[in-house]
Amino acid sequence: MTTVLEICRWLDRSAIGTDIRESLLFPFIEGFHVLALSLSIGLVVITDLRLMGVVMRNRPASEIWSQFFPWMMSGFGVMFLTGALLFWSHALSAYNSTAFRVKLLLLILSGLNAAIYHLTIYRKLDQWDASPIPPLQARLAGWTSLILWAGVITMGRIMAYTF
Amino acid sequence: MIAASIYPFFAWCERTWVCKEITVHESLFPALETIHLFGLVLLLGTVLILSLRLLGLLMPRQPVPELAQALGRYTALGLGIMLPSGVLMFVATAVRCYGNTSFWVKMCFLAAALVFHFTYFQKALRSGSSPKFAACGALVLWFGVGAAGRSIGFFG
Repeated sequence: MTTVLEICRWLDRSAIGTDIRESLLFPFIEGFHVLALSLSIGLVVITDLRLMGVVMRNRPASEIWSQFFPWMMSGFGVMFLTGALLFWSHALSAYNSTAFRVKLLLLILSGLNAAIYHLTIYRKLDQWDASPIPPLQARLAGWTSLILWAGVITMGRIMAYTF
Repeated sequence: MIAASIYPFFAWCERTWVCKEITVHESLFPALETIHLFGLVLLLGTVLILSLRLLGLLMPRQPVPELAQALGRYTALGLGIMLPSGVLMFVATAVRCYGNTSFWVKMCFLAAALVFHFTYFQKALRSGSSPKFAACGALVLWFGVGAAGRSIGFFG
């Protein structure tokens, strides 16, 4: 049976992985990964703050969500694409990095938090859409998202030190 | 060259207790980098949102001055996080920064971005004058700061 470690070793030694690691592609892709933080997490933060009832209280939560969504998703598209290439080039180091594992865990928790929010309180959006301060469950989802993404950035920064 | 005449300042920075503390405690520099990134998310994130609004690509029903008022404090917070954390990282590595071309490119971009931000960009946010120029200028200058900043660690 092929283990995750074997896949990581294969990726790490592959021509593409080696090319990225040993050329200017790595800093270039890494630069995009860092700057796209503004489009992905930057927009998430403002959306979270609206859910927490902190910012743009006079605008419906649905307006911010629908307006931000396509930009936010293109930001996450860039993040996952560049992130996958960076992983490819350092798959073995990443496999052995605790920070990387914690980062993956936090990403999963963040997805779970978003899923729970969408399956519960978001379904009753018409009842609180215009409320300056959304209900407790929505505020909690905002706080949770903010904390988890701060953790993702922290782990991302730490993992680079283990490469 | 102007830079050469201020070299003693760079050398002095690395003799300060701040530099020694950051160098002695291994985890302080990565911590400062992480805090610097938190600031980046707020600063570049809000500049991006406001620029997209000026270009008419985001929140078209929200008046520009209202959005600027709502997000301005987060841009300021981002800057308020990035500047002190950046200064501390600079003090800890001042001599290396002195010989690092990316550092000087970043400082030029930063000076231009700050001037542009507090003149044209703010004016466009308040009165809506030349919104496209303000948005493109802010994006190019601030993301230029970010790109040059990232290359300090990679190139030199």
